[in-house]
Amino acid sequence: MIERLSLRARIFLFFALIAAAVPLFFGLGLWMAAQRIGGDATPHLVLFGGMAGFALIGVILWVWQMFDLNVARPIQSVARDLQTLMHANPQHAPDTKATRYLGLLGPVISEIATTFTDVRADVAKEVDEATRSLKDQRQQLEAILRELNEGVIVCNASHRILLYNRRALQILGVTEEMGLGRPLFSILNQQPFILTLDRLTSRYLEGRYTTHPEYLMTNLVFAKTDGSLILEGRMNLIVDEAEKSITGYVLTFDDVTEELKGLITSDRLMRSTLEELRHPVASLRAAVEMLQEIPDSDAEGRRAFDKVLSEESTKLSNDLDQFGNAYREIVTSQWPMSDVHSGNMLNALTRRYRDDESITCDVTGDPIWVRCDSTTIVALIDHIIRKALVELDCDTFLLQGREGNKRTYIEVTWNGEVASPSMLERWLGEPIERGLGLCGAEILEHHKSEVWCEPAADGMARLRIPLLPPSKAHLVTTSTAPLAIRLEFYDFNLLKPEQLGAIAERKLRDLTYVVFDTETTGLEPSNGDEIIQIAGVRILNGRVLTGEAFDYLVDPGRRVPPLATRITGISQEMVTGKPKIQDVLPRFHDYVGDAVLVAHNAAFDMKFLQLKEDLCKVRFDNPVLDTVLLSAIVHDHTNQHTLDAVAERFSIEIPPETRHTALGDSLATAGVLLKLIDLLEVHDITTLGEAIEASNRIVEIRRKQAKY
Amino acid sequence: MAKSVLVVDDEPNIMLSLEYLMKRAGYEVRLARDGDEALASVMSSPPDLILLDINIPKRNGYEVCQAIRSNPDLKNVRILMVTAKGREVEIEKGLALGADGYATKPFSTKELAERVAKLLNGSEA
Repeated sequence: MIERLSLRARIFLFFALIAAAVPLFFGLGLWMAAQRIGGDATPHLVLFGGMAGFALIGVILWVWQMFDLNVARPIQSVARDLQTLMHANPQHAPDTKATRYLGLLGPVISEIATTFTDVRADVAKEVDEATRSLKDQRQQLEAILRELNEGVIVCNASHRILLYNRRALQILGVTEEMGLGRPLFSILNQQPFILTLDRLTSRYLEGRYTTHPEYLMTNLVFAKTDGSLILEGRMNLIVDEAEKSITGYVLTFDDVTEELKGLITSDRLMRSTLEELRHPVASLRAAVEMLQEIPDSDAEGRRAFDKVLSEESTKLSNDLDQFGNAYREIVTSQWPMSDVHSGNMLNALTRRYRDDESITCDVTGDPIWVRCDSTTIVALIDHIIRKALVELDCDTFLLQGREGNKRTYIEVTWNGEVASPSMLERWLGEPIERGLGLCGAEILEHHKSEVWCEPAADGMARLRIPLLPPSKAHLVTTSTAPLAIRLEFYDFNLLKPEQLGAIAERKLRDLTYVVFDTETTGLEPSNGDEIIQIAGVRILNGRVLTGEAFDYLVDPGRRVPPLATRITGISQEMVTGKPKIQDVLPRFHDYVGDAVLVAHNAAFDMKFLQLKEDLCKVRFDNPVLDTVLLSAIVHDHTNQHTLDAVAERFSIEIPPETRHTALGDSLATAGVLLKLIDLLEVHDITTLGEAIEASNRIVEIRRKQAKY
Repeated sequence: MAKSVLVVDDEPNIMLSLEYLMKRAGYEVRLARDGDEALASVMSSPPDLILLDINIPKRNGYEVCQAIRSNPDLKNVRILMVTAKGREVEIEKGLALGADGYATKPFSTKELAERVAKLLNGSEA
């Protein structure tokens, strides 16, 4: 009981006790004295005793006041100062004047405070520095990943994606299915990964990796689930040395579909041709040997063999032609090639001559895409330019990419004579600087190409290098446009072990959500209203992944009423010719995967989705949360649960230009969801099951209210 | 006057057949075994047509072809390249350097004779 009183109150009580004891013991003493002395002394005793008593009480009160002022209060103020120092303001200086009667306590506390402040500042500085270097490292990692020409995917041990780079998206040709926290096997065939991970895991656990030449790495060939791509890659384990366990793996890969196809085809061609050639050659040889034996007189016998010679040589000739044609069809060689933008390649080359005054070299014409190994081709062009400079005495060069019928060309035009075929042959026979130790002829052989030089206008000469056309059509902007915004490409929080158990028991904080919104032609899906826009964002580990947004306009196949246009800003022209719902909804289904679906007034949006399920051959059986209902749980004092009202309550800004766009509303709803998850915890709602149950109760209450 | 044909090849076995084939078609036939010999023969008296193999010693067929095409006096000489190189890019190179036609080994002698006749009559350019 007494411990709970403040220090000052307790000290006051002590003094009060003494003060109370004074009249008690004085009274008692004087009373006993009065008994002995007799009644006459009583008035004197009362008077002097009373005076002494009051004086004593006065002294006690004065001492208490001094004690309170100079001991109790300073101690309390020191305590408060220390508290402030510890928890709020590290710069806070304790008031030393108050503690002047407390002996060494004041100076000691000041010293402690100073030391504490210094330590705090040091720690803060160290944390700052560490954070900055971490940020630098992160940016470097991001830059490396972005520029890497190989696809990179990092997965945890349960094959969920923790990281991927832009190249991985390009190679796999996926956008919707790829996402942080998503299973790898929604994109890639699982068998090779399971087998390879098993193999590497046992290599690690049995300790064989320490002596293995490839350590914790191995090659693997795998395919996309739809079989459209064959890929070759390397899997490298990430291990937790302390726990002796597998954290995950890094997968680097390249598309080898065409290379493999080319290899297989040429191998098959080689084998079948060898076999087929043996037949006519055998017949020819046998017939010639027989002819030598048959006497001239046997005209009929000789004619028969003449016929064999003629037939078999024609057949042999035809077989060879067929072989030649088939071989020509195998466009890829075993030399690795990629689609290259001629602008990038040729500009890189001209930079080499920038500081060289003897050479003027410019790129001209429209850039094109070519398929080649740019390193060796650039080295080859550089070699030719330097040879022409010396041997043909020319100094101005123009580089140009040109598209032909079956081929693409890189042209080098110079102000001088034509290089003769034998001169070119000599140039091509020399080793090339920076050409990977190859000579020009070998580089051309790898590209199955030839070069020649022909006269051009104005006494110029033009050298042509035919190359393959690009393996697929490229838009000029392909490399940057769809992914221009900075993406949250990775989330290492997923490295924590996978939460197990039924999804209902999982914490709201740990779930992956897709928060989505649809814009429609009207409010009655069963009465012909259709979706005209659908957008969604993914939430993973409490983070909205804005870079992985889903956002599509949909051609509703019907008229967009003016009212819908006024609300959503989406006009008829904007949706005509856009993909139909049959194309968009399966993509959205891929995007959603096994995430929890969230929408503001989810019932409305789900109705639109579900009515299209049969048409689009997809089913949305994911758990669904409705932010309207969740808001009603935590803010039961109000009926205002529109997106605007809820967002305002949480101070989430919706830019006016994005309100009533599907993506803008999805983002706002995602922000609302994150705040709601915090508040639901206050209401002891922490798992998905509890949230759904509470939502259902709200629905029940509302239904009952509607009855009255 | 009979048209003249210069056969340039370094394979005696195929030259034997080509010489016979051209003679039988009524042309006056000359032979050359390498690029230098071929150019010398062309310079001394331009033939109407050359059957030109690409893989020949000293100067290759492309070189001979370009040398002939760079001389305006020889612009009437038809050149039919005959070669074992059959890739499209090689055919393209031959035509770019001034050949009038291209025949890949092995070929049908009958068809070759027809193409020579067409070139000499100016109907195959």
